[in-house]
Amino acid sequence: MDQSSATASHGGAIGMHGIKKWFGNFQAVNDVSLEIRSNEFFTLLGPSGCGKTTLLRMIAGFEMPSEGSIRLDGAEIAHLLPNQRPVNTVFQNYALFPHLTVSDNIGFGLKMLGKPKAEIDAVVAEMLKLVHLEARGNNLVTQLSGGQQQRVALARALAPRPKVLLLDEPLSALDLKLRKSMQIELKRLQAETGITFVFVTHDQEEALTMSDRIAVMSQGQVRQVGAPWEIYDRPAERFVADFIGETNFLDVDVVDVGADRARVRLPSGAEIPATFPAGTQPSGKVTIVIRPEHARATASTAVTPLSGTIHDIVYLGTDTHLHVRLADGSSFMIRLQNARSGPCGYSVGEEVGIEISDDVAQILRD
Amino acid sequence: MSVDAAELNEKLHRKDIRDRWFLSAPALILIGVASVGPLLIVLLYSFLAPGNYGDVKWAFSTDGWFNVFFSRDIFDDTVSLADAHFTIFWRSIRLALATTVLCLIFGFPTAYFIATRAPQNRSIWLFLITIPFWTNMLIRAFAIQEVIRSEGLINTILIKLGIIQAPIQMLFTDFAILLGMTYVHLPLMVLPLYASLEKLDFRLIEAAYDLYASRFNVLMKVIVPLVKPGIIAGSILVFIPALSSYVIPRVLGGGKNLMIGNLIELQFGQGRNWPLGAALSVTLVVIVLFAMLYYVRNAGKNGGSAHG
Ligand SMILES: Nc1ncnc2c1ncn2[C@@H]1O[C@H](COP(=O)(O)OP(=O)(O)OP(=O)(O)O)[C@@H](O)[C@H]1O
Ligand SMILES: [Mg+2]
Repeated sequence: MDQSSATASHGGAIGMHGIKKWFGNFQAVNDVSLEIRSNEFFTLLGPSGCGKTTLLRMIAGFEMPSEGSIRLDGAEIAHLLPNQRPVNTVFQNYALFPHLTVSDNIGFGLKMLGKPKAEIDAVVAEMLKLVHLEARGNNLVTQLSGGQQQRVALARALAPRPKVLLLDEPLSALDLKLRKSMQIELKRLQAETGITFVFVTHDQEEALTMSDRIAVMSQGQVRQVGAPWEIYDRPAERFVADFIGETNFLDVDVVDVGADRARVRLPSGAEIPATFPAGTQPSGKVTIVIRPEHARATASTAVTPLSGTIHDIVYLGTDTHLHVRLADGSSFMIRLQNARSGPCGYSVGEEVGIEISDDVAQILRD
Repeated sequence: MSVDAAELNEKLHRKDIRDRWFLSAPALILIGVASVGPLLIVLLYSFLAPGNYGDVKWAFSTDGWFNVFFSRDIFDDTVSLADAHFTIFWRSIRLALATTVLCLIFGFPTAYFIATRAPQNRSIWLFLITIPFWTNMLIRAFAIQEVIRSEGLINTILIKLGIIQAPIQMLFTDFAILLGMTYVHLPLMVLPLYASLEKLDFRLIEAAYDLYASRFNVLMKVIVPLVKPGIIAGSILVFIPALSSYVIPRVLGGGKNLMIGNLIELQFGQGRNWPLGAALSVTLVVIVLFAMLYYVRNAGKNGGSAHG
């Protein structure tokens, strides 16, 4: 138990190997292996029911994996009880103790660790300051607003200085504005404390803005792990590309494969370079993805790799989306940034060419 | 203008209060007729003189109250404190407290067990808990007698197994009274405890474990403070009837181990001293009242924003 206070500046590294979890005969987690690095802001991202919470609860110790090992800084912890792990959780519903004051909530962990009162008081004061609740220490937590309760939950989990902080959708109950400011706050706290954060969300934008690395999950499996730009620009498979942001899928033929780039032929006959996931050898018919902001519409259709007719224009304030019907009948979306005010200059029914930036197409694993 | 508004407001307010009085009238009438009225009659009787064959003579007398606290020697007329009464009062309070504690010790795990079952199964368990209520208390007391008497179930089995040679005397002891009282009052503890535990957010228990709490601390720092209302309600519901128990000490305690209830009954029966019985009854009510005031105030103080 004492290791929790040992290292203040260095977060723990978590290694999970071959984790499986069965509830009766339902498999919630299916063979997950992850390396979460020290001091990292690591996010588990995936649709509802994909097993994010289950995975987090196994790190916290509330669930035992049916199979597999969990290591913290190299030491096996899968068999330890929650109160024996230097890992704390910020619960989705906060789970604050309603019979205790804000200060007593924050000091609970240290008190249970048997720390002297003076130390507890000092840490509590520091934590109250960290989450900007200096004046609220003596309030009951039930007297606080949702955002304030959220910050108390955070302070309570941080106070014992865990090596790893687990956060299960901590922002989902907040309104958009508060959520944005708490996102920044969380990033700041993570940087200041140096504690490894494992953050669960099903909000892809939240994941992209906050994380050092993201693991995208689906149906109990990790589909891809990478930095936000990798997840976004280099999705390894259709599920990831589809789940994160908006995208265009095109069926193409592989013409030639190099070390890290392939050439693919579009239905129009044009050839463009495309990246592919490491460890795969694309061949034959494959699917590529092109993000809408990586394509531009041009008036001339002669030299562009793709062309079609605009069938829909959607104005979104910052952007305008052009939906273009290609020759094979599929729809291709282009995102125009609204750099100037006024209408975008295109109209429905207009013929346009589609220009694709260099190095933006990514071949999916099938 | 503003004066009018204030007046109107006051009228509305007054009407509002009248409505509420009206709504609580049935309860107030019931309390008046069934509780306060009889209590006043008992109080009145305690200040009358005893009749020769029971009943009372309509003459003012403080003998009833005098006899609660003092006894007069029949030979030399000296006055001494009524030790027997104090002993019985003190015994009764001790037994009632012990019953309450035992009910809490047995009732808490039971209620916790029920509250942690799957929701669709809980009503079955609650139903099982209330089964003892289906039979008359007297019959249940005799049933316990059957089990613990010298030739009863337990002694017979223990002797057959060779664990003991002679039967253990269990019947007509304080143990028998405690056993019986705990058994009959247990549901009164389990039900309010269950009501509190069922509302308990079990994620708070996980949060406590996450924050390094031991099992004992989870119980004492999280569960107990949060189910305190249930503990208070259950304790009151058990303590009051336990203190004035009559059937159980009579059947299981035999003639020797009296409690207040038996003492009072004695005055209205064989003792033919109704004023003393009435005075003892009023004393019992006062004891209960003070015990409750003390308990509720203290329980309330330690709860809420407890630091300890
Ligand atoms: N204790 C349990 N018993 C049975 N099934 C469970 C249990 N806990 C979770 N599951 C199932 O495991 C699957 C994964 O659940 P989990 O809570 O991990 O999902 P999640 O990714 O956190 O979803 P959400 O985003 O909705 O919170 C779900 O299908 C869920 O029904
Ligand atoms: Mg979840």
